[in-house]
Amino acid sequence: MKHDQPQLIDALASEYVLGTLRGAARRRFERWQNAEWHVASRVRTWEGRLIPLTLGLPPIAPSQEVWEKIEARIRNSDAPGIGTARRGAARPALRALAAVLLLCAIFAGGYVAWRMTESLHLQTVATIKGAQGPVAWSIELDARHKRLRAVALAGAVAQPGHSFELWALLPGKAAPVSLGLLPAAGQLERTLSVAQRAALASAAQVAVSLEPPGGSPTGAPTGPVLFVAALNKA
Amino acid sequence: MSDTDAANSMESELARLIHACAARDRHALRQLYDLVAGQMLASMLRILKRRALAEEALQDVFVSIWQRAAQFESARGSARIWLMAIARHRAIDVLRSERVDLYRQADVEQLPHAGMEGLGDWSSAGRSAAALARCFEELSGEQRRGIELAFVNGYSHADIARVTGEPLGTIKSWIRRGLASLRQCLER
Repeated sequence: MKHDQPQLIDALASEYVLGTLRGAARRRFERWQNAEWHVASRVRTWEGRLIPLTLGLPPIAPSQEVWEKIEARIRNSDAPGIGTARRGAARPALRALAAVLLLCAIFAGGYVAWRMTESLHLQTVATIKGAQGPVAWSIELDARHKRLRAVALAGAVAQPGHSFELWALLPGKAAPVSLGLLPAAGQLERTLSVAQRAALASAAQVAVSLEPPGGSPTGAPTGPVLFVAALNKA
Repeated sequence: MSDTDAANSMESELARLIHACAARDRHALRQLYDLVAGQMLASMLRILKRRALAEEALQDVFVSIWQRAAQFESARGSARIWLMAIARHRAIDVLRSERVDLYRQADVEQLPHAGMEGLGDWSSAGRSAAALARCFEELSGEQRRGIELAFVNGYSHADIARVTGEPLGTIKSWIRRGLASLRQCLER
């Protein structure tokens, strides 16, 4: 099977989502989409196209016991120590939860104060520019990689009808992870999600792609990659 | 509030609740359940036919949402589609592992078309509901029926051939061409 043909990937993704790809072919395709982000991205696109077909079905209220069983399974999965708890054992669980919440409250105050001072210090981790031209953006992070600031510089030239999107490039075949849009002028600062922080932890480079206004509609770069820059984490 | 505003507000509420689940807020999971479990059960029951089987699969779906909530990224797509995709994949997995009698529920002609009537109250990431409905309407009747039977009822090519009485090759061709036309129309 030639796996580098976009049309073939798209056709397989559509039959996979439709459910008509079966048996060994389906399992093969599942392994493939787990390994390659561009295949997974086509699957997401087709889910967005076909799932609306089922949204017209009149909802059916589940039986009362469905939620009770979900709750019990979640309690078990979250708290192995009280995993076998039956209803009568709910009180000790509540007391444990209250104790945890109290501890959290005590630490929260100190943590917030500590984080506020820490986030003031951002360091430049990437300088994005073309081979010849002036620097387009400077990317800054705080020490814990929770805050990202992007500063547009002389080389950032607005492209009408498009947005610039910043990506963390991960090693191997993992999909690039969006770090959000870049400003065409001025600066933008944002708090990074857990997924974005994890991506930054393993990324060695960042890239900038040209996307439709508001950013990539698919979660993966869709437009041309304009710049790639090294990530110099402290 | 317009349909689009209502859809956007539903989207942001679902995304907020998924993020709250990632932060281990069980109340948020219950709110998600109240908002989407009925829709999920309807679509899973169409595939699995047996209510007990579909309700058991629905439990798996919510345990899975609880465990995977941190993986959801609102920037990467619609929260509603993310949730419904988990339900759908679970139903297909169960369908593959159980011996489900696909024809037990009804003669195919008695099954109502799932139709596009639900499209009015939402829009998926980047594609308007109207565009999806329009493109689906552009398909031929056979293509539309083939795609509906496969997607909504979980039928294989052979199942569709059996219930429609058409040759297997014809069914494969309806579906292949239908999907290609849908793609072309949506990418126009």
